[in-house]
Amino acid sequence: MAGSELEILKGISLEIKSGESVAIVGASGSGKSTLLGLLAGLDETSAGRIIINDTDLGQLDEDGRALFRGREVGFVFQSFQLLPALTALENVMLPLELKGEANAREQARHYLERVELGERMDHYPRQMSGGEQQRVAIARAFAARPRILFADEPTGNLDTRTGGHIIDLLFEINNQEGTTLVLVTHDMTLAQRCQRRLVLEAGELVEGN
Amino acid sequence: MSVTATRMLARDWRGGELGVLMMALILAVGVVSGISAFTTRLQAALELESHRFLAADTVVRSGREMPAQWLQQAQASGLRVATTLTFPSMVYAQGDAMQLASIKAVSDAYPLRGDLKFSEQPFGDAVTITNGPRRGTVWLDSRLFPLLDVTLGDAVQVGEAQLKVTGAVRGEPDQAAGMFGYGPRLLMHYEDIAATEVIQPGSRVEFRQLYAGDVGDMTDFTQWLEPQLAPGQRLMTVSDGQPGISNALDRAERFLLLAGSLGVVLAGVAIALAARRFSERHNDYVAVMKSLGATSGAINQLYGKSLLLLGAVATVCGCLLGWGIQALFFTLFADQLPVEPGPSGPRPYLIGSATALTCLLSFAWPPLRRLGQASPLRVLRKDVAVFTRGTSGDYLFGLVAVSLLMLWYSGDWRLTLALLAGLAVTVTLGMGLAMTLLKGGRLVGMSAGSIWRLALAGLQRRGAANALQVVIFAMAIMLLLVLVLVRTSLVDEWQTQLPEDAPNHFMINIGPGDVQAVDQRLREEGISSEALYPMIRGRIMAVQGVDLPTRDQADMDGPRQREVNFTWSETLPEGNELVAGDWWQPGTDAAMVSVELEFAQRMGIEVGDRLSMLVGAQPLDVTVSSLRSLDWQSMRPNFFMVFPPEVLASYPATFMTSFHLDPDNKVFLNDFIREFPTVTVIEMDLVIEQIRSIIQQVSGAIELVLVVILATGALVLIAGVQASVDERLHESSILRALGARKQLILGGLLIEFAALGLFAGLLATIAAEISVAILQVTAMDMQYSPTPWLWPLGIGAGVVLIAGLGVFSCRRVVSHPPVAVLREL
Repeated sequence: MAGSELEILKGISLEIKSGESVAIVGASGSGKSTLLGLLAGLDETSAGRIIINDTDLGQLDEDGRALFRGREVGFVFQSFQLLPALTALENVMLPLELKGEANAREQARHYLERVELGERMDHYPRQMSGGEQQRVAIARAFAARPRILFADEPTGNLDTRTGGHIIDLLFEINNQEGTTLVLVTHDMTLAQRCQRRLVLEAGELVEGN
Repeated sequence: MSVTATRMLARDWRGGELGVLMMALILAVGVVSGISAFTTRLQAALELESHRFLAADTVVRSGREMPAQWLQQAQASGLRVATTLTFPSMVYAQGDAMQLASIKAVSDAYPLRGDLKFSEQPFGDAVTITNGPRRGTVWLDSRLFPLLDVTLGDAVQVGEAQLKVTGAVRGEPDQAAGMFGYGPRLLMHYEDIAATEVIQPGSRVEFRQLYAGDVGDMTDFTQWLEPQLAPGQRLMTVSDGQPGISNALDRAERFLLLAGSLGVVLAGVAIALAARRFSERHNDYVAVMKSLGATSGAINQLYGKSLLLLGAVATVCGCLLGWGIQALFFTLFADQLPVEPGPSGPRPYLIGSATALTCLLSFAWPPLRRLGQASPLRVLRKDVAVFTRGTSGDYLFGLVAVSLLMLWYSGDWRLTLALLAGLAVTVTLGMGLAMTLLKGGRLVGMSAGSIWRLALAGLQRRGAANALQVVIFAMAIMLLLVLVLVRTSLVDEWQTQLPEDAPNHFMINIGPGDVQAVDQRLREEGISSEALYPMIRGRIMAVQGVDLPTRDQADMDGPRQREVNFTWSETLPEGNELVAGDWWQPGTDAAMVSVELEFAQRMGIEVGDRLSMLVGAQPLDVTVSSLRSLDWQSMRPNFFMVFPPEVLASYPATFMTSFHLDPDNKVFLNDFIREFPTVTVIEMDLVIEQIRSIIQQVSGAIELVLVVILATGALVLIAGVQASVDERLHESSILRALGARKQLILGGLLIEFAALGLFAGLLATIAAEISVAILQVTAMDMQYSPTPWLWPLGIGAGVVLIAGLGVFSCRRVVSHPPVAVLREL
């Protein structure tokens, strides 16, 4: 994966099995988020290949990758990325609506109840705490029943206690749904909860593969 | 995808993102449809009003009787017809009383448009009446009763016919057209003419055939009629009836169209700015939606639908606003309107809707379309570029769309070009100037105090963005200044043209022996009059030795032998302007003449030409020494031909003047006429009053339109300020978090925005002067004069408005905790 002048990720080769949970750890600037963006089909590689469930992401254009993401991938972000103009329920409905599912509202309700926000469905993100917002984001991520869930520093904006609850919730639902989990973090405790850990240093995998 | 556009719009509305975009659209539609509906309805009303000045829709006039077949053809085409005949003649009463009167004979159907005013007693209460006098009877001008010493029921004699006086004629719709029909009016029936035996071949008479009816029928008929017209027969339509009014209305209409075009441009800019900000703010939403699986096609569809929905809602609201604007105009001016406003039909609202669609497509869609290309990677990394900057293709598309809209809307390519030229000058010069000025500002700022350094560093850091903002502000301010300037000079010109004390009466046929007495009598009454001008009737026979065709052989308006009024003067008469040649030395006896410009053009006369004339039976040969232009609507004594006094000294002359008489003082005329029975007074006061009232209501409408356009301009300023608010809020919040005092931040912002306003105001003023100069000279048919007061106004408005709006928009930064502000961005 080499830019014309700057190589961000170098010589990375890895395989993640279905249902596996993997943590990508490394210091700031080590290339974690870049790797996550590429794996999730948010970005294009300049060289190399990424194959997910027999789909070669390099063969898809942006619209193809969007459809792929909608079908196969879910996200939980450090900064939650809820749409401020939508209520909690509407935020969770969004990926279902994008997939054109008929009973989006019911499914969204179900997942919001699973993250214990049944009482706050009609609240807007600005009316919620950081922990609550991240729970909405988790409900949104699982509601679309993705095969792979990508989580980018999911506790990065939360205090230790709230972060702990969120992670419990994330792993609990992940186990129930049997989703493949790829988690980017610099928090080694969190990384320990994953089945496998990949350590990135200056764009290179140094451990775990 | 089932995320409906409606829901997205509703959500965005709740989020407050759509306010400016929506308002700009509504104002664009409202301004366009409102002005369009107003002018349509006013035109319909005033066209009808102008028809009253003709007493018909169309008139053919001629010095000889016209074929009765024309009337039959008109009737066959579904038109109503009438005939009139006007001529001067002596009227005799019992005893020795006699008076030169202006006789008008009218057929039964006269008038076809407008009303006749009649009273049973002279000077009594006038009532509106639909038909003229019956056969065998006449109505006299009130003043004729004392002059002829007759009362109701007496007989008067016109030629060989004895006719019974049955009332007083107090007003005719088309009386202005007969202003040089000498003497007070006698109205009689057309079929009594034969019995008078006064009409002989060569008599000075004017026959008119009047036609009125549906526009379609009228068009068919006039197309049939025109080829049949012989030289000396002339077709007259509305604009011939009252050139003063038609001229004023033409200009007012152009002004309104100009205002409307500016409204469209301003609203377009506001829409473009608002849409750009909207799309910038939506970049992150789109990134999230894309990460969740939305394709760019789906995003485009979603925003396209939202835009159409927004357009539909704004169009409906805008049409309602437009309807409200024109209804308000008519409510405010209902009292002054001489007639009921006509219907506007659906066209103005269709124009408004088309404007909304064009504005959306050319201004709002390009930035929103680019949202489809937003990178989903922004969900992970905020530093990923946003795709909202316009391409040159977008700008070109917007420019073409705006030009076409302006052209379609105003129907005047000169006006469109003048405005586009002004805008182009603003943009190109503006960008360069703004960059230079901003660079200069930093040098000054380096040595200034801390607030100044903060502000000027801010100006410099956002150099390119600020330059663009300065240009946009300057455009908005320029367009508003143009409008204010044109309005002011338009209204001023009308007021100077017809000031309150404008002469409203002409007095002619003053004998040389009466000149002093008349002058003294007017002065005793406290009436200020123009100078007394001698008037000598002469006939132009030949130019450069070539005989001109006679009246019967020639086109009425072309070169022909004709009788005109000569006068003499040592000096150039007041209100006249020399356009070619030189004025003569006082006391000269050289055979020279100064000719009025339009008359000279019509007659094919140039400076240096030799003219042969007849005054009475005596020949007079002179050389054209100069050409003059003058304002025929000034109500001053105006002359085609002015000679040096010595040249005309030996010919018999009468004198004329014009003066202002208050309505309360009208009774003075009766005494005056009794005292000077040979003098003829021509009353123009009713016509002038009518012109003035129309001009007043149109000026009022113009003021209102100005207010609406100012609101649109303010919207552009708000949208422009908002465009840069996020970045400024972000920086200021960080400074605030670092402990900067409220005064430092607000002071810095104030100086920064005030500087932008100063540059914008300066640019706007320069561009406005240029545009107005082009506009006045080419499109408005007015004189250009520089406007010193514009400079403090333009620059002051720029500083105050932009500094005020800017600081107001950023006030959150000091009233809310910095974290809260940063989180919102």
